[in-house]
Parts: sequence; C-alpha cells; structure tokens
Amino acid sequence: MDSLVAQYTRPAEQQEGYFDEDQLELSQGSPQLSLKFALPPVANSSAWLRAMTDDYSNPNCPIKIAHGTTTLAFRFKGGIIVATDSRATAGNWIASQTVKKVIEINSCLLGTMAGGAADCQYWLAYLGMQCRLHELRHKRRISVAAASKILANLVYNYKGMGLSMGTMCAGVTPQEGPALYYIDSDGTRLAGNLFCVGSGQTFAYGVLDAEYSYDLSDEDALELGKRSILAATHRDAFSGGFINLYHVKEDGWVKHGFNDTNPIFWKTKLEKGEFSNVTSELV
Amino acid sequence: MNHLPQAWGRPRDDVYGAYDHSYFQTSGPKQSTQQPIVTGTSVIAIKFKDGVVIATDNLASYGSLARFTDVKRLRQFNKSTILGFGGDVSDMQYLDRLLLSLAIRENYSSYSSASDDTDDTSNLESLNAKNLHTYMSKVMYRRRSDFNPLWNQILVAGFGNDEKPFLASVDLLGTTFSSPSLATGFGAHLAQPIMRKVVPDEASVANLDKETAVQTIRDCMKVLFYRDARSMDKYSIAVVTKDGIDLKEDEKLENQSWAFADRIKGYGTQVV
Amino acid sequence: MASVFTAPPLADNGPGYSFKQTPTTHISADGTRQHSFYPYTDNGGSTLGISGADFTILAGDTRSTSGYNINSRYVPKLFKIGGEGPEHTGSSIVLSVVGFAADGDALKERLDTVVKMYKYQHGKNMSVAACAQRLSHILYNKRFFPYYVHAILGGLDEEGKGALYSYDPVGSYEREQCRAAGAAASLIMPFLDNQVNYKNQYIPASGYGHDLQPRKAELLPRNTVEELVRDAFDSAVERHIEVGDGLQMMIITKDGIEEVYSPLKKD
Repeated sequence: MDSLVAQYTRPAEQQEGYFDEDQLELSQGSPQLSLKFALPPVANSSAWLRAMTDDYSNPNCPIKIAHGTTTLAFRFKGGIIVATDSRATAGNWIASQTVKKVIEINSCLLGTMAGGAADCQYWLAYLGMQCRLHELRHKRRISVAAASKILANLVYNYKGMGLSMGTMCAGVTPQEGPALYYIDSDGTRLAGNLFCVGSGQTFAYGVLDAEYSYDLSDEDALELGKRSILAATHRDAFSGGFINLYHVKEDGWVKHGFNDTNPIFWKTKLEKGEFSNVTSELV
Repeated sequence: MNHLPQAWGRPRDDVYGAYDHSYFQTSGPKQSTQQPIVTGTSVIAIKFKDGVVIATDNLASYGSLARFTDVKRLRQFNKSTILGFGGDVSDMQYLDRLLLSLAIRENYSSYSSASDDTDDTSNLESLNAKNLHTYMSKVMYRRRSDFNPLWNQILVAGFGNDEKPFLASVDLLGTTFSSPSLATGFGAHLAQPIMRKVVPDEASVANLDKETAVQTIRDCMKVLFYRDARSMDKYSIAVVTKDGIDLKEDEKLENQSWAFADRIKGYGTQVV
Repeated sequence: MASVFTAPPLADNGPGYSFKQTPTTHISADGTRQHSFYPYTDNGGSTLGISGADFTILAGDTRSTSGYNINSRYVPKLFKIGGEGPEHTGSSIVLSVVGFAADGDALKERLDTVVKMYKYQHGKNMSVAACAQRLSHILYNKRFFPYYVHAILGGLDEEGKGALYSYDPVGSYEREQCRAAGAAASLIMPFLDNQVNYKNQYIPASGYGHDLQPRKAELLPRNTVEELVRDAFDSAVERHIEVGDGLQMMIITKDGIEEVYSPLKKD
C-alpha cells in the first residue's frame, strides 16, 4: 500500500523520460563489455526477439541479422589449420563479402565465427578479455580447454534467449599441444580433431574427411583447408567471398592470406582438372 | 536441424517452439490498454514569417461515434508554446497533467534563480517550444521502449532557441520530425498537400504572412470536415507569435459549400 | 538491409491514422493471449559512406517517410559525434543511422555522450577505432531488444587515413572501403562494388577469356568520390520511393568536418 501511495503521490514527471539511473550510467561510462542487456518488456522475450529477427521462419521479419558461413578447423601434427569463407547474408541479401570470420582472441588463440556475426564478435571479444585477466591473475597463458569452457558456460547462461553462434577455439599450449574445441549457443562444448561449422559444413566435411590425415605436412594441410572451403563456397549459396586461412603453431598463429575464391576456383579447375562439372568453354 | 542449409544456425523449433507469426498479426481480440479508445482526429499546423498557426477540431470520437463534441485538443504551455494532440484522449489528459506539473516546477525554479541575480531578466526565460519538444520526445520514446505507449501524435508549435518559428512532431513511437507544415492523421493525406503548396520549403516561410497562413489553415479544416468522417465543424485555432498566443477555442467552419456532394455517385442505392 | 522487400507489414486498415497502430496478439504456451504493441517503424531513406586516402565521406538523403506518407523533406540522418557543446565544434567523427529514426536518435545521443564523457575523463579525443568498438557494444547491449538501425561510422584513423565502419542492427561491425545502407542499399551497393572496388572490371586487352586481368582497386580522389555519391543518390531516387528530397553529405578531413547539402528530386 505504501509503495502504491508513493507511486501516485510523486509528481508525474519524475516517472517519465530518462531516469536518474540512466543518466548516472551514461555519465560514469559503464564497462565496455558488460553482461547487462536491455530486455523487451514482454512476457516471452525470446519468442518476441525471434519474431523480430528470424528471417528463415519469416522472410518478412523487420530486423535481419547477418548469418551464414562455412568455417573449418582441424588438428594435425604441425598444429591446427583454421579456414573460413567471408560471406555474411541477411535474408537473401549478401550483406558483406569481406567478413573476418577468424577472430584473433590473442596471439596464440583463434576463434571462428558462424551464426550471428554480432554474437560471435561480442562474446569472443569478451573471451579475449577473460583470457587476458587469467594471464594477469595466474602469470601464465590460459589453456584452450579453460578458455573454451569460459565461453561455453557463458553462452549456456543465455540458452533459450536467442543467441546464435557456432564457434571453434583453436590454440596450441605447452601442456595440451594443439587443442581444438567446438562451442555452440546451445551450450555444447566438444573437443575433437576436426570440425566444420555453418551452412556449408557438409560440403567442407566431404572434402576434408576424404583427404584428412593427422600426419599431413604443413603445406598439404593448408592446401586441404583451402580446398575444403572452396568446395563449400562452390555448392553453398550462403558461403563465398574470400578464403581466410590460418595456421596455429606453438609460438602463435600465422596468417596465410585472405584470398578471393574466384581466381582460386578457376586455377583449381583449369590447372588441376577438378570441378569438371563446370564448363570452361566460352560460348 | 533439417536438411535446408538456410535453416542452420537459426533458432530451431525443437528448442524455441514454433515461430510465432502472431507478433505481426493485424487483427485479433482487442484490449483497452493497447489501443486508443476515445480519439481525436487530425492536428494541422503551418509556419509563417512571424510564428505558427495550429488547429484541431473539438471532437473526441468513440470509434465511429461522435461522442464528445467539446474537447479542446490544443494546449498552451507557458507564454509562447502550443501543443496539438491527435490520438487517444485519455493519454492526452495524462500528458496535460504531466505538462502542468512540469510548468509549475520549471517556472518556480527559473523564477527563484532569476531573483538571485538582481535584474538579469534573461534567466526568466523558461522552456521554449524546442526544449519542450525534446522533453516530449524523451517521454514518448521511453514509454514505447516500455511497451506502454502514450497513443498520441503531437505537434509542438512556438519558437526555438534562435527565436525563429518552430514546429515539430512526435508520435507514440518517439519518432520526431520538423517541417514548415505538419499534419497528423487524416490531415497528412488531405491537408498536407494544400499546405505544402503554400510553404513548399523552409525558405518560403519568410514570405508567408499571418493572414494567408490563417486562411490556409481554415481552408484545410474545411477540406478535412468535408472528407474526414471523424471530424467536426467546430474547431480550435491558435496563432503563436512573439507577442503571445491568440487561442480561439470555439470557431465554426464558415462558407461551407456542399455543392460537390451533388456530383458524388456510386454510393448506397444511387447507381447513376 | 534490403528493406525494399522487407518493409514491416503496413496496417491493413486503409489510409488509416498515423497514430493508429494495429494491436498484435500473442498466444503463449498455456493458451493465454497477451496483446503486444509493435514498437518499430521504418522511416525509409538511405545512407552511404566511402573512405579515401585522407578523407571519409558520409552521405544520406533527408526524406523521412511513414508508409506512403512523407513526414518531412528535411530530417538529417548524419550526426556529428563528440566535439564541444551542442554544435559539436571540433568533432571529427560522423555517425549515420538509417532505419527507425527514434532508435537512431537514441543511439546517436548515447554514443555522443560516451564520446564527450571520454574527453572529459581522459583529456583527449576518442580515436575512431575506439569509438567504433564502443558503438558495437552499445548496439549489442540491446541484443535482445535491438535498435532497428543500420549504422555507419566515419572518421580518420590514427595515421590520418579515411576510416569507415559499418554495423548490423545488433552490433557486428567491420572496417570497409565503402558501404550503403537503408532502403536503397540493394540499389547502391552493387554500383559501389563496381565503381569503388572495381569488382567485375577487367583491364581491356589484357588477355582473352580466363587470362583477362582484373582491374586493381585503388583509393579514389575526393572529387571522384563526391561525384560517385551524387550519382548513386540520383539513381536511387529514380528507382526507390523512400529516397529523395535532399542529399546531406559530410566530408571528414584533417581540417574537420565539412557539411554540404544539395537538393534531390522531390517527387
């Protein structure tokens, strides 16, 4: 009753417009990567969010979030190969052909991006912050297992809220050797030798599984990563653009280029005779 | 997961349940708090070289029923600002109380600060129309973000910081815009083209005198009465100038000509 | 992004009142119905940004629409961020927002406050890179109740080169050479791909068939970019109903921000 009286005896304008807390938060400059999110004031906020943003179920939804991908990573004797395409789609619109889907968490840890682009960017940046804090607290680098678990626990907290991400954490540490983990927004966390994630995953798996062996040389492994992504960009409309290639070694990762698929495709076809389903005759 | 690659990475039905289209559904049972009940129709306003003319009719409709025929939808704020309300009347009355308490607080504090600095009268300046419009837009946007909108579209007329005529709109979503002439509701379709003939751009405002502006508004009110079924021939009109506000709340449409009605064919039983 | 095909459903009750928002109904799992209010609208328009060697240009049309109505012919979509006071004196960052204008204004004010607070607290101007990341975080903080906007941020990086960042509604961002957003993005972006990044352009007589050499993209001079922007908007106005009235351009150079307004077709 008292609260009711308090609510209605206050001058009306104190309840309208910006609140003091909002002002305070703005002027103090809230932490950049925070876990405080604004929620829509409806009973079922995740269903509401989905109604606004799921362009697969409803192509007319108002807010289209960038999606679609092929990413892969595999372990071999020389470390880990990470390769991705670079296309982002919003509905049928190609929002970008130059997305950096390999996220450099720090000098020896890489994350990949599939699903919602913003989800992956934000949470992998947050993971980067946590990894740095771990280093400062414990005076040694974080293990890939621990880093991936931070991420998995984090997204599990938001399960059912509408996050969409399928990510891989790749890194080489002295205690683990080359380590590769798959984490997705359902909260799944898996260790493994070889993963492909995204709408083009099946096409990439097809090539990768056929040629993969743990004992590949560095050159062969890089070539295989590139060839698998190429196959996926060829067959999956939601993948394309550039091939982004990384090699993770014990002393950190090395970037092996961000190359346009089109010349690579024609080179592969004309010089190696692959993709014979495509005609090269000019009519 | 299904076999369609487009679906991968999107929310899955087995996790989130079926996609709910009803968030966009445009029909369904109605609930009072989420839609206007007693409504006012158009507000129209036009800037001229020394100020702004703004008008609304005095009707509050209950659906298609002309329920209240003496509702004043122009509201004065301080000495040189007028607000015109379209949309829900109860929300208008709430905003009226809100503005009253704001005016009391603002005038009290600006008066006391002015008395401190002896004879500096510039401090007496209270909220002008531009300030008030900003305040209204914050209130409206906050309420839309709380999913508890104030179901109005509001025109604010008066003067800005530069002492030039000011006219701007804010609606239930917090959308704001400003233009030499503005109209809400049906007025946006019927009155706006007439007013835009008189003031096509900001530059032409300086060439418009008060008499022409008032006459344009009166003509628009007449056109609205001819064609807007939720309108009435009794209206309020206000002229805001440097000298203050000339608010008339009991105007009657004059020189109506229904001759055009004679030529309308194709309604009801009339087939030729 | 391609709102040509994706405008939110219009209220189906005729020319309707602009305050009339059709109520929506939600049926939850237990069968109870909850009425909800649709908090977004699309105010149309288009923006674009191109960066060069020592400048960045942002541009946007000034039409504001709701449905088939034109609200106003002059509502800016470009905002200076930071600087001194309400006039943003000395600012060197520009934000452009297109989509739902009220969300755009709220976003602009948030970012502006952040950049100004940064100046007060650290005694130096925020770099574009920092501002870009901060904008991403502001957008992501509304991940579950998004700002319905496509933002483009422009400025000069620490080496004095043009910097341009583009965003999706929930904050994924990327530094790019050029970007178009809003209603006519699908009309303008292919044009920019071809004219700025020289996509699908080949060097004449450099070979035959597969030997044809692609033309290498280079940074464009300022007057070329200004012409491209004008051409892009003149073409968009011809083919998109939500674009027109006026073109607002902001050119960021080491000397500050230059603002240019030029008319577009008003039909």
